[in-house]
This record gives sequence, C-alpha cells and structure tokens, in this order.
Amino acid sequence: MDYTIVGNGVAGIEAAFKIRERWGPEQASITVISDETDYFFSRTALMYAYMNKMRRRDLEPHDRQAYERQSIELVRDRVVDIDADDQSITLRDDGRRDFDRLLLAVGAKPRMIQWPGVDETDDGIVHLVSMQDLDECERLTWTTDEAVVVGGGLIGVELVECLRFHGVDVTFLVREPYFWPAGLHREEGEMIQQHIASHGVDVRMGEELAEVIPGSEGRVEAITTDTGEEIPCQMLGIAIGVTPRTDWLDSTTTPPSCGRGIHVDRSFQTDLDNVWAAGDCCEIDFGDETRVETIWYTAERHGRLAGLSMLGDDVTYDPPVFFNSSKFLDIEYTTVGTVADAPDGSKTLFRRMPDEEITQRIIVDEQDQVIGFNMLGSRWDHTILQQWIRERRPLDWVRDRLSNAQFDVEFGRVPLERMNEEIRRL
Amino acid sequence: MRQKGTLGWLKHDVTHRGITAWLLTGALLAFYLVLYFTDWLTPIAKSLGLIHKWNLYGALYTLAIVTGGIYVIAKYRDNRYQVIRTSVVIFVQSTLAFSVPYVLELFNQPAVYLSYLWPLEISILYPKNLASAPVYFAVWAVVGSILIAPILGIFYGKRWYCSWVCGCGGLANTAGEPFRHLTPTSQGWWNFEKYAVHITLVLALLTTGLVGASYLIGPEQSPVLASYANSLQSWYGLLVVTILSGIVGVVLYPIGGTRVWCRNFCPMAAILGLVQKFGRFRIRVKDDMCISCGMCTTYCEMGIDVREYAQNNQDFTRAACVGCGLCEEVCPRGVLHLENEWDRDPQESLTMGALLEESYK
Ligand SMILES: Cc1cc2nc3c(=O)[nH]c(=O)nc-3n(C[C@H](O)[C@H](O)[C@H](O)COP(=O)(O)OP(=O)(O)OC[C@H]3O[C@@H](n4cnc5c(N)ncnc54)[C@H](O)[C@@H]3O)c2cc1C
Ligand code: SF4
Ligand code: SF4
Repeated sequence: MDYTIVGNGVAGIEAAFKIRERWGPEQASITVISDETDYFFSRTALMYAYMNKMRRRDLEPHDRQAYERQSIELVRDRVVDIDADDQSITLRDDGRRDFDRLLLAVGAKPRMIQWPGVDETDDGIVHLVSMQDLDECERLTWTTDEAVVVGGGLIGVELVECLRFHGVDVTFLVREPYFWPAGLHREEGEMIQQHIASHGVDVRMGEELAEVIPGSEGRVEAITTDTGEEIPCQMLGIAIGVTPRTDWLDSTTTPPSCGRGIHVDRSFQTDLDNVWAAGDCCEIDFGDETRVETIWYTAERHGRLAGLSMLGDDVTYDPPVFFNSSKFLDIEYTTVGTVADAPDGSKTLFRRMPDEEITQRIIVDEQDQVIGFNMLGSRWDHTILQQWIRERRPLDWVRDRLSNAQFDVEFGRVPLERMNEEIRRL
Repeated sequence: MRQKGTLGWLKHDVTHRGITAWLLTGALLAFYLVLYFTDWLTPIAKSLGLIHKWNLYGALYTLAIVTGGIYVIAKYRDNRYQVIRTSVVIFVQSTLAFSVPYVLELFNQPAVYLSYLWPLEISILYPKNLASAPVYFAVWAVVGSILIAPILGIFYGKRWYCSWVCGCGGLANTAGEPFRHLTPTSQGWWNFEKYAVHITLVLALLTTGLVGASYLIGPEQSPVLASYANSLQSWYGLLVVTILSGIVGVVLYPIGGTRVWCRNFCPMAAILGLVQKFGRFRIRVKDDMCISCGMCTTYCEMGIDVREYAQNNQDFTRAACVGCGLCEEVCPRGVLHLENEWDRDPQESLTMGALLEESYK
C-alpha cells in the first residue's frame, strides 16, 4: 500500500508516524512531499530563529535520521495536480506518481488584501508564516530602521517582537478598538496593548492600513493609515490571519470539494475516494456546524486521526474542550473553553494582581457552570481547567480551588489571595 | 538572524563558535596553562596581598560567578526559582568556596572547602588527608559525601548539589550563561557521555579504594600496591582533576557549551544521577501543550532532548539532568515543571534492566 502525504507540517508528519506505527515498510510505503523545506520544522518557532535564539536546524522536532529509521521517504517538490480517479498526483519537477491513499496536509497561507499600492510594491511586504517568509524578513531587516505591522493577532505580536529585537522602530496597526477581541476581553486586551507599548512599540488601536507607497526602487517607502497619516517604513508586515491553502486545488483534474477549507467529514475523508485532508487546510463538518482549526494542537491531533483513518480504522473526531496558549512578549497566556464569544447572560469573574501584569478570567454560563478561562501572566495546568469545564463546576467552587491548577515554577507561585476581583454579567 | 551592528556581530560571534569564541577559548587555555604549570601568577597574587596564586584564582573565579550571577538574576528576574538558586550559588561560592578557606588560612588554620565533596574532590577521603584534617572537616567529608549528598539527592534530585552548591556548576550557570545552547545534543555525544562519565566514576572509586587500601595495609607491607596507588593517585590528579575538571571544563565553554566537565566526566554527577533516577525529582510535562518549538532542547546545558519528552507528553527524570530549570524558564508555553514528588506517571517505568539497557538515559 502506498501512502502519499502532501505537506511536511505537523499534521502530515504525525500522520506518517501513525501509519508507520502500525505497518512496517513491507506493508506500507510512506512518502511525504513538501515544497517548503527538506525536513519538518516547527512553524511556531520561526520567531526564535528570527531573534537569534535558535539556529535553523534547532527548529526541527525530530532528528534527521528518524525519517530514515522509520523508512519515511521525504520528497522536496510541489504537487501541482491530483487525479483521484486515476489515483495519481503530478509533481512540478518529478512528474506523475501513483498513490493508494493520499493525505492533503497542505496547511494555511497568510491572508492578504490588495490595498492600493500593493501591486506596485515589489519588495518590503512580508508575512511570517513560511520558512521563505523568514528568509525574506531576515534579508530585509538588515536595511530596515522603521517598520509597520498590520494585524493585532498572535502572529502580528510575534513579528513585532522580532522587529523590536533587531532595534527596528515599529508601528503596530490594530483595526480593533482593543487588542485581540477574538480572544480577549477589554481589560486584558488593554493590558496587553500597554505591555506591547512598553516595549517601545507605537501601538495604534482602531487604525487601519489605507495605502502602500512604494519608493523609486519598488520597495515600500511608507504607508498611509485610514486617518490619513503617512508613516515611513522599509518593511511592512502583514499578519491579518491565515486561510486554508485551497486555491491551487481548483485547477487540478479532480478538485476536492472546498469551502473555507477542504471539506472533510469527522474521519478526515474528503469527497474524493482515497483522499483525506488534515490540519490547517481542512474544514471539518460536524453536522450542525463546520470548523476550520488553525492551531498547532489541532493540526497535530488531526494528523494522528487522519493517519488512523487512512489505515482503515473507524475514526470520529471529537475535539476535547478547547485550549490554546501563546505569549505576548513577556506575558504568557493560557486559554481554555469559551471566553471571548461567551453567550450573553454569562457571568465573568475578573481577577487582577495590583501593579502586576497578572490576570485571570473565569466565565460561567447562566446556570453558574464554568465554561471558560483566560489566564495571563502566570502558568496554569490547562488539563485541570478542562476537567472543571467538563464537570460543569460552579464559580465559587472553581475560585476556591484555583490554586490546584497553578503551574508556576517552584518558589514562584503567584499569591492568588492578593488579587482584586470583579464580577460582571455579559 | 543576529542583531545588526558591530555589537550584534560580536554578541553573535562569541556565542556561535565564531572567531572571537575561538580566541576566547585560546585565552582561557593560556590562562589555565600559566596557572597550573608555571608560577608566574604568584608574584601578582603576593602583590595583591594574597597568600598564593590559588587565592588569586579563587578570587577571579568568585568574581566571575558573582558578576555572571548578577547578570543571570537580572535576566531571569521574573523566575523566582532562578533568582533564589543563583543567589545561593553566589553565596556558597563567595563564602564556603572562597572567603572561609581564605580567612582560615590567614589565621594559619588549614583551609577547608566545605562545598566540595567526594567524589568530585576525591582527595578529601584519602585516609592521610582525613587524618590530618580538622576533626569537624573529616567528619563532614565522610558523612557529607557518603550519606548526606545521596540522601538529599533522593529527596531533591542531583540539582541540590549540581545547580545550587557546586562551584563547577555555579560557574556554568552564571558566567557560562551565554554559552549554554552550544552543548551538543546529538546521539554521538550521548554515546560518548554515557561511557565517559561512568569510566571517570570507576576511576574515582578505584583510586579512592586503592589509596585507602594501601594506607590501611601500610606501604611497607605491600610496596607494589603502594606504588600502584601512588601512580593512580597522581594520574587521576593530573588527568581528571587538573586537565578535565580544571582546564577542559572551563576552556571549552565558548566551543562546547557549559558543563562539558559536569556532563561527560564528573564522578559526583554520575553518582548523584543514578541516585536521582530512584528519587523524587522529575520534570513534569503538561499534556498536549508543547508546540515542539525546541527552545528547551536548545537551552538544556546537558544536551538532553527535552522536546522529545515534552512532545510525547512524557514526564521524565534523566540522570544527566542537573535541575538548572532553564528548560522550564525558556519554554514559551510553560509546559515543563521541575518538582519533587514520589508518585510517578505510569509511563515512567524504571526497572534495573531498563537502567542497564539504557544505562544513563
Ligand atoms: C509564526 C507562527 C506562529 C504560530 N504559533 C503557534 C502557536 O504558538 N500555537 C499554536 O497552536 N499554533 C501556532 N501556529 C499555527 C501552527 O503553526 C499551525 O497550525 C500548524 O503548523 C499547521 O500545521 P499543518 O501541518 O496543518 O500545516 P503546515 O505546517 O502549514 O504545513 C503544510 C506544508 O505543506 C506544504 N505544501 C502546501 N501545498 C503544497 C503543495 N502543493 N505541494 C507540496 N507541498 C505543499 C507547505 O509548504 C507546508 O510546508 C503558528 C503559526 C505561525 C505561522
Ligand atoms: S533538562 Fe532542564 S533542568 Fe535538566 S539540565 Fe536540562 S535544562 Fe536543566
Ligand atoms: S520549549 Fe516548551 S513548547 Fe517548546 S518544545 Fe520545549 S516543552 Fe515544547
């Protein structure tokens, strides 16, 4: 049986290992194809390479011999066509290849808007998503003193941090009234905003990019915002989100059905026979809703399940209570359950340490059952918080036991009893 | 990518095995050769009012730990484990390892180094030295080395010594901070370490045993044994104590990372590592939270592939781990937690067979 996997991100590689766990090289040949890098690397660590904290090679989660030991063939090429009827794909350089089972784990690409001036600008506009983006960023940083970053999300903050590390003056354009309403409530958003500003960043809330102004060489020279202000910059970072990489599929011989992402059912099968999709690129049909999940943890989980599904196992994706983590410069962030989009009528308990950037938010629904947590500035064991959500614990119960879920370093446990509290109904 | 400008170049070059790193290594090597094999430093020490060149070396060593320690405390000021641990390292170095023996010497008392235990400092258990040492120190040397060190190791892991008390670890974790990511993580190094550190341990045991036996039997009774013991003692002194712990351990910082000595050769680390495997210390991994970024592996000065455990949701106790806590500090997702707990994750099976099979892992 030939298992072919397109994309060597976490979803693709997890699927490959899962298949190999079951079948030896005699029963299954496994090929992973990617046009981005020779080896799987951790996209989440791109910023650390940019900031000289890690060497490129350190980004690779597995040692290079692991693929050989596991007999996983790695191919550096681009897939340009899929013919599911014929069970073959076409590679840009290496031509046609047959498969028995195909996994599309092609990830997501940065979202982009064609602002006026973008087409005339040949150089200086960057993203921070792929290894090639990192190359671009590094090449441009040498000759950049001022930069503008557009998009107040998680990758935007990372890009801002990297540019500050290199001594670049950064203007951060955030469309929303406070930082990241998609994940945070106002109090936390404003705290993060101030924290970013305290690192010497000019944070502009409620301002948008209006026009890109290229210089005579074609490289970006300035931008204007929707307030009409002109801000000089030699680099313009766009971090307004990612979208599943589906566009290239339209022109293939047998395009799989796509919406926001490649449509899959809960066993990660597409509408094409013998073709699966997993990770950032897929849109999963849960019956009552469809979901596109573009974080590391979900991609990893998708990959494993898709691998099992390709082996013929009966797989039904049943996502656990949502959790995610991030870091806003120095402030660590853990979120569990439903927070920013909590339904009306929910009650929130907001806790803040006087004079420190440490907050906690606990959300309960109308029945006083806990549904979400947003924790900033200290460490938490999300598995305990998840458990409390599953057990539908009431607010007082949770608040009294909060210290059970602390995960701070030894001697560094945050004194929870010193925090101010405030209860509000949404 | 390195920072721009000359300073950016220098910072990168010296911490990434560039030309300046090699120059620094060369300078350190020259310094150590002069220190160990000439008397050129004696007049300098005397002119500073010190008794001999070793006081001068002690003062420089302490200075390096204090300045490096202040830098580390400032860098990790939000991490209380690091702040407290580093403060203790500075305190132990400037008192037990430097000023206490110096003051004793000033008052014509025998200089004793309370923070250096056997088998890191194997000579303290040589019977001749035990007999001539002050009684309190002889008692401490025996009880501390044979009883207290392993017992504390059972309860708190080898970190209580390697990362809180020991001067070798102390220098690595303070002045060595900029070089910690250079420790190689490859399988080849792991194979080397596994043999090297246990061979030194066996040598240390053998040397102590032979020297002790020869003393007890008496050199007149058995001159052959005595001559073996003597030559082993001086070989061990030269090869292990002077060359490996004294010179190589520090000289290679800019090239091979800190803890070259601790990881590959230190017999104390070897013993405490085995003790640690049966004790309470472990690094707990928060399930499913690892983003495989690799910061932990990069900054582990013992070359442990921490990420491998973290991305497999596996709590672990590696014999090599000195409990410096830097993996826990640099992890951007707070996945790792150093702790002392008796209950273990069921995944961590520890049988004698596994221990022998994997040896040190
Ligand atoms: C800067 C950054 C930071 C992030 N930080 C976090 C974080 O902290 N936490 C978190 O949970 N998530 C984070 N994410 C998101 C996370 O990295 C992704 O969700 C995850 O990597 C998705 O993995 P994947 O396997 O689905 O796709 P990808 O990793 O995108 O892999 C897809 C691969 O397929 C290749 N490919 C695509 N099309 C083709 C083709 N036609 N032929 C050949 N190869 C092709 C692509 O080049 C790519 O290499 C971050 C993302 C970025 C960009
Ligand atoms: S595993 Fe962590 S605590 Fe142990 S030596 Fe490595 S960095 Fe230090
Ligand atoms: S530093 Fe943390 S998130 Fe990164 S690989 Fe290590 S354990 Fe995982």
